[in-house]
Amino acid sequence: MAKLTLMFEQKTVKEVPVGSRPVGIGRSPDNDLPVDNLAVSNYHARVYFEAGRLVVEDLASLNGTFVNDLRVERATLHDGDSIWVGKHHIKVDASGDTSTFGDTGRRGATAPRINETMVLDTKARRDMLQQAAAMGERTQFAVGRLKVPTLVILSGNTDQKEYMLTNKLTVIGKSKMATVRLKGWFKPQLAAQVNQRDDGYYVGPGDKVPRVNGAPITGPMRLNDGDLIEVCGLRMNFIFRD
Amino acid sequence: MEIFSGGVTNVGRVRTNNEDCFRIEEPLNLYVLSDGMGGEAHGEIASALAVEALVKHCQETEHDPAMTIFGDMPSNWSEKTKRLSSAVHLANKTIFDSAQAHPEQRGMGATLTAAWIDGPRLSVAHVGDSRAYLLRSGTLQQLTNDHSLVAEQVRRGILTPAEAERSDMQSVLLRALGAHEEIEVESEEHTLFGGDVLLLCSDGLTRMVTEPEIAGTLQAEPDPLKASERLVELANEQGGADNVTAVVVRVGSEPKGWFSWLRRGTRKTAQKNGSAGGK
Repeated sequence: MAKLTLMFEQKTVKEVPVGSRPVGIGRSPDNDLPVDNLAVSNYHARVYFEAGRLVVEDLASLNGTFVNDLRVERATLHDGDSIWVGKHHIKVDASGDTSTFGDTGRRGATAPRINETMVLDTKARRDMLQQAAAMGERTQFAVGRLKVPTLVILSGNTDQKEYMLTNKLTVIGKSKMATVRLKGWFKPQLAAQVNQRDDGYYVGPGDKVPRVNGAPITGPMRLNDGDLIEVCGLRMNFIFRD
Repeated sequence: MEIFSGGVTNVGRVRTNNEDCFRIEEPLNLYVLSDGMGGEAHGEIASALAVEALVKHCQETEHDPAMTIFGDMPSNWSEKTKRLSSAVHLANKTIFDSAQAHPEQRGMGATLTAAWIDGPRLSVAHVGDSRAYLLRSGTLQQLTNDHSLVAEQVRRGILTPAEAERSDMQSVLLRALGAHEEIEVESEEHTLFGGDVLLLCSDGLTRMVTEPEIAGTLQAEPDPLKASERLVELANEQGGADNVTAVVVRVGSEPKGWFSWLRRGTRKTAQKNGSAGGK
């Protein structure tokens, strides 16, 4: 079983195992690992198993959670990592860990190779779904996480001033079927497209090659909050709306 | 909208039986693919049952639109999307019931990915790790989410896509038809444009052939049957570790001007080794 050890400098303060319940870290005494330091938020971070991996999640703390040297919002933990909150750190011992679904991690193949397709049995699936549900709740409570991708029209002739991107596929063009409908003569039916993928939103070419932040794209390009997209005389911002 | 389609299934270079199954139901513009699992011949039975049950339900509802809709779904979906999703629920029940009635079939299951085109609207219903892709203006976009453990880990940021590709757990599904009496169906609606190409494929294709290769093949080969044959060849050239199936559907370029009605309804379909899940 994985183990977390709260340290102050070289001194061990407290040790807890990580079970099925998340381990809370923070200044409030009802945390599993209470950290008595003003630089630490009341409910600062938590550590839990998710799909067989040990994960640390920052709970929108003021001064941040660090794994080794990196500030993280969420990160997968590995044996020997240190989580830093204020001046305390927490050593991660995952050496004796046997995880729920087997380790699929970067430390290589410890799980047997599965050649035949199989479905997780009811219990494993239920655990997985519960974790997904818990994840959903956390996502909503975490500050600024639940945001709607939006195209805000800065200039150009369109039927609306703002478009929320709710579908996997968004088309910008003159076509009746386009989400962002261009008006005017000589505009292409399908000028450009914005597609949702697992890791974000991508703008891609249609009959025209759009420009992102002034430069023409060479293929589907991942959009960042605030990017400026230009196509067919249309200028718009891609933003995440609360 | 003119629609051209073609599909191929092949046993691959390692397996001895083909558990994949597909159907192009021309009069309905309905396209279905299923990848079965289970010992002995049971994977083949499961995928054939899935395709058969889905197509049958869609055909019946064409004659009797008042038929019951199964499963909870948003009211703003089109009738076709609701039907298609409903048909996936039924297919699940069919496999589940068959396995209950025949103890030797216990543990059999199947993926199911179905697309139904109605005018410019595309309805997609899906369970498992087969995929639907849309190629539009040279950009290949996956329309379905893989219901596999590694894909879920990627979506949550636990694995990177590169780690997922190397994972030993690629065959572990979180959802498949036949495993439980109830199932959650992923459904979506999209609008089609002239020139769009839809691809349904089993994981035997996507594990062997990269997405840029798939996009390149679909762009280079305008004939849907030849494109699907080429994709299957590529998968076999690069290992053919699993059964491989590709169904390609091409939407004709948008008709220009007032004479478009003259061309309406034209279509062309071809298929090889179709519903029987041949070798």
